[in-house]
Amino acid sequence: MTEPALTQRRFFEKAGEGQLTAIRCGHCGELAIPPREFCPSCSHRRWEPVGLSGEGTIASYTIIRVAPRAHAGDVPYAIAAVQMKEGVSMLGRVVDVPLARLAVGLPVRFRPLVSSGGHTAVGFGPA
Amino acid sequence: MRRVAVIGVGVTKFGKHDRTSAELFAEAAVEALTDAELPASAVQALYYGNVVGGETEKQLHTGPQAASVLGIPTVPTTRFETACASSHAAFRHAVMDIASGTSDVVLVGGAERVLNVTTEESTEYFAYASDARWEQTLGLTFPGVFALVARAHMARHGTTEAQMAAVAVKNHKHGTLNPKAQFQKEITVEQVLKSAMVADPLKLYDCCPFTDGGAAVVLASEEVARKARRPIWVLASAAASDWMLIGDKRDLSRVPATERAAAAAYRQAGLGPSDVDVVELHDCFTIAEIVATEGLGLFEPGAGGVAAERGWTSLGGKIPVNPSGGLKAKGHPIGATGAAQIAEIVTQLRGAADRRQVEGAKVGLTHTLGGNTATVLVSLFGRD
Repeated sequence: MTEPALTQRRFFEKAGEGQLTAIRCGHCGELAIPPREFCPSCSHRRWEPVGLSGEGTIASYTIIRVAPRAHAGDVPYAIAAVQMKEGVSMLGRVVDVPLARLAVGLPVRFRPLVSSGGHTAVGFGPA
Repeated sequence: MRRVAVIGVGVTKFGKHDRTSAELFAEAAVEALTDAELPASAVQALYYGNVVGGETEKQLHTGPQAASVLGIPTVPTTRFETACASSHAAFRHAVMDIASGTSDVVLVGGAERVLNVTTEESTEYFAYASDARWEQTLGLTFPGVFALVARAHMARHGTTEAQMAAVAVKNHKHGTLNPKAQFQKEITVEQVLKSAMVADPLKLYDCCPFTDGGAAVVLASEEVARKARRPIWVLASAAASDWMLIGDKRDLSRVPATERAAAAAYRQAGLGPSDVDVVELHDCFTIAEIVATEGLGLFEPGAGGVAAERGWTSLGGKIPVNPSGGLKAKGHPIGATGAAQIAEIVTQLRGAADRRQVEGAKVGLTHTLGGNTATVLVSLFGRD
């Protein structure tokens, strides 16, 4: 058995340092967000880590006004599905963008959101 | 493979209850067995759906618990959890159990209890069906998931908030015709549009409620079903899955699992969308009904909103959708929903749906979606 190209833990460690990392299939070129064993396109296991630019555009978004208990103090807050320049998509919190300016197609840039407990979540700020 | 029929159905009143989910299921199961004219001793297996019992009732192993409360403790019992599609997944496996010749009579159902906890708690528990590390950490909620679908559908097809509101108005109107519905009150488009924002662009009246309730259906082999009063035949039961993470779904304006499950079900039955007379589908949010009518092939992609607004999916319209009131008005006790939808379609095909009857319905379809659109079940039913 080979080691995974990128574990979930390592992805978030690198994200916390400001670097988004995807994995690219060495057989067919498919790009994916880790962790993943088989390539969904060609079923090979030849992933290599590849850094992402962090640049993307909003594919869809929402403003959460009724939150789960752990996030109740944050409302209202925005969550967007962001299509990265390289083709993969990720969900993240949108910060430092006025809620009224949110729009499908708006350019944004990755920024790590590190909690007081040291956990990193995916965030996006102005491009 | 043997033919399978539904020979009994039972549903509790949906709404707030002070009984456990096991008791709610047992009430529905008694009604279903009475309808089937079978003793409890005839049941050879139980396939059971329950989702947040571990959170709201601090209860795991809810399958045998439900069987014990019903009084059939020794039958093989399995609990299914595919988020909101749990009892429809249970149903599909029960169909395969009978079709394979393993059992002749199987009980299927589910129950949920959530109104014993606060809205903040239940919002959190339902969010457990999205990814813990990638999505729950962002504060994603289920209204949030479908708000992302809505915004993508609006951007791609020009779907409007008024069209989404039309779905809520229609299902509330249907709910007034269903004595077991949680809401039995008509609402207006204006009321929907002015209701409190939950997750933009979805407002309170775009969302189904939290609900306590139970549902059960009795399945039988053809040999047993031929002796039953009103057997309704299972023509197909298909499942499909999709990526767990929202980010991995390439086009949020569609639910590919609905399209795949529908294609498989139509193929099994040798039928197409134009053969369907009545539909119970998963309208956990108004946009979910619009996208489901498109994914099931009832309307072209992008036409679901127009269809709702023009009344094509209302009772008396081209293809009535959710005559029961749907999840929106009938209510959504998540573990029971799939079985409750099947109970409604069986009632419709028997011609026994009273004021909400779709006249002359011969073929019915049920569609149940689990969680973040990663699970979908579609089944087709027909009468003799």
